[in-house]
Amino acid sequence: ALRMQRVEVSIKLRKTKKDEQLLKRRNISLYAKEENLSPGQDKPDEIIHLSLEEIVEAVNGNNPKLQLLATQATRRILSKQKDPPINQIIELGIIPRMVEFLSYADNAPLQFEAAWALTNIASGTSEHTRAVVEGGAIPAFTSLLSSPHMHISEQAVWALGNVAGDGPIYRDALINSDVIPHLLALVSPVTPVGFLRNITWTLSNLCRNKNPSPPVDAVLKILPVLICLMQHEDKAVITDACWAVSYLTDGSNDRIQIVVDTGVLPRLVELMASVDLMVVTPALRAIGNVVTGTDQQTQAAIDAGVLAVLPCLLRHTKPAIQKEAAWTLSNIAAGPSQQIQQLITCGLLPPLVELLDKGDFKAQKEAVWVVANFTTGGTVDQVVELVHSGVLKPLLNLLLAKDSKTILIILDTISNLFMAAEKVGETEKLCLLVEELNGLEKIEDLQNHQNNMVYRAALNIIEKYFSGEENLDLEPQTGQDGLYDFSVKKQDFNF
Amino acid sequence: MELSDANLQTLTEYLKKTLDPDPAIRRPAEKFLESVEGSQNYPLLLLTLLEKSQENVIKVCASVTFKNYIKRNWRIVEDEPNKICESDRIAIKANIVPLMLSSPEQIQKQLSDAISIIGREDFPQKWPDLLTEMVNRFQSGDFHVINGVLRTAHSLFKRYRHEFKSNELWTEIKLVLDAFALPLTNLFKATIELCSTHANDASALKVLFSSLILIAKLFYSLNFQDLPEFFEDNMETWMTNFHSLLTLDNKLLQTDDEEEAGLLELLKSQICDNAALYAQKYDEEFQPYLPRFVTAIWNLLVTTGQEVKYDLLVSNAIQFLASVCERPHYKHLFEDQNTLTSICEKVIVPNMEFRAADEEAFEDNSEEYIRRDLEGSDIDTRRRAACDLVRGLCKFFEGPVTGIFSGYVNSMLQEYAKNPSVNWKHKDAAIYLVTSLASKAQTQKHGITQANELVNLTEFFVNHIQPDLKSATVNEFPVLKADGIKYIMIFRNQVPKEQLLVSVPLLINHLQAESIVVHTYAAHALERLFTMRGTNNTTLITAAEMAPFVEVLLTNLFKALTLPGSSENEYIMKAIMRSFSLLQESIIPYIPSVITQLTQKLLAVSKNPSKPHFNHYMFESICLSIRITCKANPEAVGSFEEALFLVFTEILQNDVQEFIPYVFQVMSLLLEMHKNEIPSSYMALFPHLLQPVLWERTGNIPPLVRLLQAYLERGSSTIASAAADKIPGLLGVFQKLIASKANDHQGFYLLNSIIEHMPPESVDQYRKQIFILLFQRLQNSKTTKFIKSFLVFINLYCIRYGALALQEIFDSIQPKMFGMVLEKIIIPEIQKVSGQVEKKICAVGITKILTECPPMMDTEYTKLWIPLLQALIGLFELPEDDTIPDEEHFIDIEDTPGYQTAFSQLAFAGKKEHDPVGQMVNNPRIHLAQSLHKLSTACPGRVLSMLSTSLNAEALQYLQGYLQAASVSLL
Repeated sequence: ALRMQRVEVSIKLRKTKKDEQLLKRRNISLYAKEENLSPGQDKPDEIIHLSLEEIVEAVNGNNPKLQLLATQATRRILSKQKDPPINQIIELGIIPRMVEFLSYADNAPLQFEAAWALTNIASGTSEHTRAVVEGGAIPAFTSLLSSPHMHISEQAVWALGNVAGDGPIYRDALINSDVIPHLLALVSPVTPVGFLRNITWTLSNLCRNKNPSPPVDAVLKILPVLICLMQHEDKAVITDACWAVSYLTDGSNDRIQIVVDTGVLPRLVELMASVDLMVVTPALRAIGNVVTGTDQQTQAAIDAGVLAVLPCLLRHTKPAIQKEAAWTLSNIAAGPSQQIQQLITCGLLPPLVELLDKGDFKAQKEAVWVVANFTTGGTVDQVVELVHSGVLKPLLNLLLAKDSKTILIILDTISNLFMAAEKVGETEKLCLLVEELNGLEKIEDLQNHQNNMVYRAALNIIEKYFSGEENLDLEPQTGQDGLYDFSVKKQDFNF
Repeated sequence: MELSDANLQTLTEYLKKTLDPDPAIRRPAEKFLESVEGSQNYPLLLLTLLEKSQENVIKVCASVTFKNYIKRNWRIVEDEPNKICESDRIAIKANIVPLMLSSPEQIQKQLSDAISIIGREDFPQKWPDLLTEMVNRFQSGDFHVINGVLRTAHSLFKRYRHEFKSNELWTEIKLVLDAFALPLTNLFKATIELCSTHANDASALKVLFSSLILIAKLFYSLNFQDLPEFFEDNMETWMTNFHSLLTLDNKLLQTDDEEEAGLLELLKSQICDNAALYAQKYDEEFQPYLPRFVTAIWNLLVTTGQEVKYDLLVSNAIQFLASVCERPHYKHLFEDQNTLTSICEKVIVPNMEFRAADEEAFEDNSEEYIRRDLEGSDIDTRRRAACDLVRGLCKFFEGPVTGIFSGYVNSMLQEYAKNPSVNWKHKDAAIYLVTSLASKAQTQKHGITQANELVNLTEFFVNHIQPDLKSATVNEFPVLKADGIKYIMIFRNQVPKEQLLVSVPLLINHLQAESIVVHTYAAHALERLFTMRGTNNTTLITAAEMAPFVEVLLTNLFKALTLPGSSENEYIMKAIMRSFSLLQESIIPYIPSVITQLTQKLLAVSKNPSKPHFNHYMFESICLSIRITCKANPEAVGSFEEALFLVFTEILQNDVQEFIPYVFQVMSLLLEMHKNEIPSSYMALFPHLLQPVLWERTGNIPPLVRLLQAYLERGSSTIASAAADKIPGLLGVFQKLIASKANDHQGFYLLNSIIEHMPPESVDQYRKQIFILLFQRLQNSKTTKFIKSFLVFINLYCIRYGALALQEIFDSIQPKMFGMVLEKIIIPEIQKVSGQVEKKICAVGITKILTECPPMMDTEYTKLWIPLLQALIGLFELPEDDTIPDEEHFIDIEDTPGYQTAFSQLAFAGKKEHDPVGQMVNNPRIHLAQSLHKLSTACPGRVLSMLSTSLNAEALQYLQGYLQAASVSLL
């Protein structure tokens, strides 16, 4: 059996899932909070509304008070709940000037407002982020990380997070401008939780995206801090740290090895068992990635206890978790027979059968892969055990699935089962079982399937095992006298 | 070809000729068209004709010819020339869509097919503007045009329903969705609005509903691979409208036709499919809509009539409910007792009724009826769907459902009792209901294997099934008779044996029924009862229990074959075979009449063999007659030969291919029955059996080899004396077989028989040649199967001719050959030999090499003595080595096309396993010990010293065990 890497979703028909981590975020903090965060600011009731023309004029002018007012007005426009007019603001051509404001160390309020406004522009599309970067924002924000004002360095962290989230090119541009040591320096036992959340999120974006993956030396710098953050008491911090690890494990085996070497797997497995969906998702994702690796890497995940946690996740109420857990299991089942044995010993078969029977379709599809891999790599005894666990009925029911690939895999799996049955001389019993469970009529029907490979696989099974049942029935049994007698010597098949 | 009027005229004439019924005119015209289709402009000429020709037949003919031309030529196959020139391709793509849309429907369909064939190759890369061109037509408001576009889109997109996910496919789908999903949705909404504005205009509605059907089909294709973002965002629009269409009715759309589904039914049926797709694949997103659909579909079922035209809709709708009610999180939708009652009463019971159409099939199309009812090819029928729904509901609600139905069964039986001749259908439905309720799992071989424990099957059998079958009139209420017999058949494992025994004479009696279904079911039921297993691997029903019925059973079975419509009834013939095999010697008194009837039948069907199963069971029955009779009276073989040979000769002379393998098998059986020298009638046939033409047919090979083996066993001395000149031909057959990887084992069967039975002097001159052939094959294409057969053969040879003779003949072919074969083949491969007799032959042969071959003791071969002994002990003690090199895995399958189908092995012509060393050696381990003992007596000390210096400890331990068991020791 083959371990399958997470499928590169170059083309997607579906909506982006809500349980994915956000690539970019806009700062739309509530009014009151926002004003508290801007010390030295006028009182709320003194907000002045400016037209776009007035903003351009003031930003480009030399009056610090008007600059602040205009920048603040811009930030406010960009912070409105729905459809902020990012394009319009960019078209005003004020970004370079805003970037300049970031360096006005003597005017903290202006620095803060400009940082906020730029953060929200960078939170848009790739075009929007590019406008900010091309305005020279990367070095400016990097130096702001060391601002004496915590709220300003926090806003810089956020802005850089949006830039990093755009993709591998800007991510690596940040890494090359040496942003990592500055970011890591901000993490300390006294860092407030809110700030720490932003830092963790930005770090996770620095670990994110492939083609290429982030440079190894950067990963090596970030990982120890991420592992500390995974021990934090705040769920949001843990969650984003897990997301970061899940990105780092989503790659080639040497990338997986870097993570395995840190010894973080037991903690990830522990987090997989969390009651919090938010935490479970990325932790499971990370472990799922690890078991796409080598047999040794998979064994490391097994040793960390993943098999004890999976039964619960296979029965999870959220279909997405069921699916991810089944995918993880499918890669464990693709391992050598010793790993398959551990899967049996740890009691994974009953939840697997349940999932095949009643799970969401997405999860059922992955569960089919588990069975397919199991029957490819398992020993005859293990396959017999699988059949005893009741896998056949739900598996055969899924021959009605509206997905050609799934049907084909099931047919291949059935062939595997027959090969195992042949080895123990139980072919006939398996034939009867398949028929009893209404599998035969389904396979017969698939001989009319439009998909050529499906049709041929079905035909093959019918021809090989279900044609001429009479010959099986009548296999010449001759006694000592050389004449037909009615006895048939067979072992008992104990499905 | 230029685009000229002259060419158009020529083409018109040839097209007209292709429609001529006279092949002398039609064929040359077709040939001509084929010869010019490679010319540039040919397709454009066809397009011109189909658009502009004056004659409608020519238009249609041109469009069909065009489509077939595209089908044959459009695809560009790698390494083959492009069959359509580029400018023609461009011109076709530029013109075909508008041309299709402006053509009348008959031509539009052909062009639409052509577009989808082109689209399959060129869309989207090489035909980028196709989609926009199509979508733009949606705004035309002309539904003739719109339907053309939709139909084309459907034929382009329907492959999304069965193809595997791939980047390429999904890129295409994404492109289609981006361009098509929104316009399609708008068209859907607009069409529905038009339906209400034109609610009173029948002809407008027809067009609009055709559009809606196509739109619903497109929805299915576009949503099949995954739930597209667009459709998730617009689920409300689609599902709300689908839902209201399900509940819609309009008198203007109802059709009078009882058989053909109307537009409304087709649309609703497709909507059921769409809902089922969402329920199965996108449950999470679809959940909010599902309960509404359950209610709507259930109401739909309650209000839909019994006519055949609703069948597809009804079975689709029931299947939807069946699939939903099994899911734990929708259980609550069905839980309520009133809901359950109402589903049972209004959905299940009405759809189980025996309808006029079923009655028609029962009487006039019995074969089809039996196939559907007995063999389960009823997947799309209403009864079947209703049955599935019962099973689905029983998953959670077995108790309540059984309770509800018990009430129905009782009331239906009461209705029947009031007036059987009018109300017999009520009883039929009651039996069907009981059957579907009680059966949880079923196989052809065992009938029902798991039953609902809440149903008392035996009680129902005694009270309601047996009385019908006991009735004196076998031809009354044939449907109920068939139901009753089927009940016995499928519940045979649930009903106690004494009840089955009571049923046997009733079944025998019904073999006389005029209804084909009834007497066929009776035969089938008897056949199934006779195959039931009792304790100790005996049959449940014994021959003794059947003794009183033998005569009437045989009489009725053969009489049933004379009933109209059943002259080649495979169920009856199979029952005959099974009865013979059960009754054994008690059929002997009837054999003369039986064999006469069978040979007459054989003669009749050999004129035109059309029912393979019937024929097969007929030959099995013949074999059984022979075996049973000759077992008691070996002399009787002559009378069988007398009865059969005439027909057999005719079959062979007329080359009835289907029957020849059977004839050879029966002849083998007959020949093996002879105790004395082979009769001259067989010898006359011998030369014919060596005819190469017979050996070219794969299906003949196994039975012919078998027959030749019988000749060799019984007539080797006659062959050696009277047919010595045929020996080279016989060996030629061996050579032919040995050359094939698929048939080499058959060649060895033949060779083994030759070596075992032919007088040595008669084959002396060929022996060396035989080995050379085998060595060649070994050198050029060695396979595991060949090696296994080869090892058995050389050991058999060694047993027959002696170990020294084996060594001498090997070394006479090439010096040191014997050592090489020992070292490279025997020692490393012996573990692969499988089969008890085969292993025994090898053990005895190797023992002989070890102990009866002087060169093994005092030449350079001596160094192989211990390894050979070790290999022999391995053969005794180690598990068989069944590894097969990867590349060989497929030989048997690929190199023997149609082996299974072409060769029809008769079970009752079975050859008994032959053990050529059976008399000589009983226990090969003890034989080894004794032989070693003998050897050590001849040269004291040698054996012991070899053993103690080089045999490994484990093997030595085994060997000591053998010596102990044989009570001998080595000196």
